[in-house]
Amino acid sequence: MAYFVSLFLLGLVLGLVAVASNPAPYFAALGLVVAAGAGCGVLVGHGGSFLSLVLFLIYLGGMLVVFAYSAALAAEPFPEAWGDRSVLGYVLVYVLGLLVIASWFWGGWYEGGWVVVDEFKELVILRGDTNGVAMMYSSGGGLLVLCAWVLLLTLFVVLELTRGLSRGALRAV
Amino acid sequence: MTPVHFSFTSTFILGLMGLAFHRTHLLSALLCLEGMMLSLFIALSLWTLQLEATAYSAAPMLLLAFSACEASVGLALLVATARTHGTDHLQSLNLLQC
Amino acid sequence: MNPYVLTIFLLSLGLGTTLTFASSHWLLAWMGLEINTLAIIPLMAQQHHPRAVEATTKYFLTQATAAAVILFATTLNAWSTGEWAIHQMSSPATITIIMLALSLKLGLAPTHFWLPEVLQGLNLTTGLILSTWQKLAPFALLLQISPALNSHLLITIGLLSTFVGGWGGLNQTQLRKILAYSSIAHLGWMVMIVKFAPSLTLLSLLIYILMTTTAFLTFKTLSSTTMNILATSWTKTPVITALAALALLSLGGLPPLTGFMPKWLILQELVKQQLPLLATLAALSALLSLYFYLRLCYAMALTSSPNTLTALLPWRLTQNTNPLLLSATSMFSLMLLPLTPTIMTLLTY
Repeated sequence: MAYFVSLFLLGLVLGLVAVASNPAPYFAALGLVVAAGAGCGVLVGHGGSFLSLVLFLIYLGGMLVVFAYSAALAAEPFPEAWGDRSVLGYVLVYVLGLLVIASWFWGGWYEGGWVVVDEFKELVILRGDTNGVAMMYSSGGGLLVLCAWVLLLTLFVVLELTRGLSRGALRAV
Repeated sequence: MTPVHFSFTSTFILGLMGLAFHRTHLLSALLCLEGMMLSLFIALSLWTLQLEATAYSAAPMLLLAFSACEASVGLALLVATARTHGTDHLQSLNLLQC
Repeated sequence: MNPYVLTIFLLSLGLGTTLTFASSHWLLAWMGLEINTLAIIPLMAQQHHPRAVEATTKYFLTQATAAAVILFATTLNAWSTGEWAIHQMSSPATITIIMLALSLKLGLAPTHFWLPEVLQGLNLTTGLILSTWQKLAPFALLLQISPALNSHLLITIGLLSTFVGGWGGLNQTQLRKILAYSSIAHLGWMVMIVKFAPSLTLLSLLIYILMTTTAFLTFKTLSSTTMNILATSWTKTPVITALAALALLSLGGLPPLTGFMPKWLILQELVKQQLPLLATLAALSALLSLYFYLRLCYAMALTSSPNTLTALLPWRLTQNTNPLLLSATSMFSLMLLPLTPTIMTLLTY
């Protein structure tokens, strides 16, 4: 399990390298998918299965559909993948920088610090994070109301921003 | 510094560098913002899980809700920019330079 | 815009700043900043003009980045110390990152590039909200973390801001860009003093808000966005034009007017802290700003532009805007200097 978690950590970092190295938005969205999936794996390895599930559903189910749609809006005839020269240069620079910084910290990575894997210390019916999120509905009621208000506000903001007026060139989107 | 700490820190900094230094598309900038928010979500969740501070488990959820709002507003701005400027290249946002 | 929707946006704008004021927890403060950003975006892009949309996009990108960096620094702080309270920050690295992110949010000198462009794309009312109300929430955070901040960092940011604000405005003819650079310079003065005397920061924030409100409302009344429209404004409203010249001099900080008060007290405090060189440099940088305020005054009140009309007053409809706010703020921005001891007593905590 420790190896899996370290693989997921590596996937998380490499996914962000793939996003940050300025490829075309298609491939950047793919990198974000990889990073989000690896992040779910890291959370499961630490025993936060409910938070991981929420992240998986929201990112891969909700948000990335919208991002894929918008990538189609911003499509270009020759999208740059990671093999192209400029993008490859950035990838190499980022990976080398990461390696240098990681080797700087290498001595401080003590053995027990590698992975904190949840080992089912005692038999429980509900996991800790599930309980904690459920507390949002009781003690965190004010924050819940605040979140609901912000989501409503975002709805109005988006509708107001994308309202079609007489200005502009493109009418298809 | 544990490897977990190192990986979410480097993830955030990579997203920030990608956003700050080289973007051609507005959508890529928004994806970098999303990557930063993803690393913050993972950092907050791991903080609650490692400290077993159960009451803080709601914090990553709130963060996720707010980042979803931010992403949707960013995409709405993308649509608005594509309408007024005809493209989403950041180079074309140059009407206000002096 | 629909008035109900406008009400929702304005209420949320108030809610965001109030949340940041009221919170002692970084997560809630971050939520307040986010609500603030989200609520002003449709107000900025109200006309769907290309310039307005572009300014909104730039504003969104900078503010979202700054808020994310603030939350990242506080998460690092929580990982190392387990502390989420705002006024108990102890780790110097995280607090420096937070200060840099706040300066990105406010538009202070090394990260000020977005402010003139964003302000240039907005109409004057939204520009007024952006340069007054939107500064309050970051300043609340800045005042709370200021005891733990490094004073060298603050002095560097502040001095750089006053110089950049003076230098950048020199060659501008657009009033909104000039006001943006004036905002950068004033915020630089506030940041310079925040470590030594936080009550002076509050005082100069208050006076800056009064003076900037006067300037924006005057330009809105004269419906002018460039200098050459100002040059003919004396035919429209002579009294407001004369008062506006004085208000601009007050922004520049000339002695019998209100704007002199914060500069005077800040310079006195800097000298008291054994920093005479810094005080001299700050006073010299105010001269740079004074140059473009004087040029605006010169174009507005001291010259009459050559025109072929013989009539002094143009034909116009009577304005039905309520002049109460403009008259009150221009009174405040001209005549508050004798009340300095009272205001200082009110603001000292």
